Amino acid sequence: MITSIAHTTIYVLNQDEALDFYKNKLGFEIGDDMKMEGDFRWLTVYPKSKPQLQLVLAEPKEGPMFTKDSAEKIRSLIEEGAFGAGVFETENCQKTYDELVAKGVEFIQPPVEQLYGVEAMGIDNSGNWFSLVQRANQI
Amino acid sequence: MTTNYKLERLNAGRDYIAANYQAPLSLSGMAEYSYMSPHHFLRVFKDTYGETPNEFLIRLRVEKAKKMLITENMSVSEICEEVGYISLGSFSSLFLKQVGMAPTLYRRKLWALSTEAYRFPSQAIPACYAYHFLGNKG
Repeated sequence: MITSIAHTTIYVLNQDEALDFYKNKLGFEIGDDMKMEGDFRWLTVYPKSKPQLQLVLAEPKEGPMFTKDSAEKIRSLIEEGAFGAGVFETENCQKTYDELVAKGVEFIQPPVEQLYGVEAMGIDNSGNWFSLVQRANQI
Repeated sequence: MTTNYKLERLNAGRDYIAANYQAPLSLSGMAEYSYMSPHHFLRVFKDTYGETPNEFLIRLRVEKAKKMLITENMSVSEICEEVGYISLGSFSSLFLKQVGMAPTLYRRKLWALSTEAYRFPSQAIPACYAYHFLGNKG
């Protein structure tokens, strides 16, 4: 039986800039920041209350899985906003939204009531969309 | 007070533990090297060194494991066996008690403090990522 998700990947354009965004804007903690063989940087962050879920901030680069052309295409798609980073939960969507806006986080939708709760939609500094959701049972 | 002769015998027992910490050691086996009964060895060892033979053994094993967690590309299970434990659960519990954090967390924290020049091996990250980014098929 699978019990949880431990790692998931968010492709970013620049790891230093992404780390600044996820750490200093969203308030995530650094999980691992390790230089690996082949100059690959293993960089993970996690929401303070959920160290069990590590978000891997990875740059699409030419390597074993991507050709140079594929990596460039993925970078281009990130910049176009074709990818979603996921859904981040909060106890109070409006309050968190206000805090993040004050920090300069870009939102493409302010908090609105949905069937599943209150949701705002933001965008990270690479171009990945994310939802900020206050679940319906917390309203 | 421990006499010089007694201290030499005691040191022989202590050296035996230090040289064989990877092996299963019994109190009677340790005491034999000091020509003492197990009870006497335990009492004199504690009085002289401030810790029991078993506490000394655990400390040696944990210190060795700490070093290996940082310098060796071995799994925690392999290190557990290498320092003389059969049960990973017992080793992890002892490590947590001695160091204040589990072996894996200790390793990660020390890695995070490593110098810029150090390159971690592909085994340090989940295999699917290692394969994806580094081409390592494990």
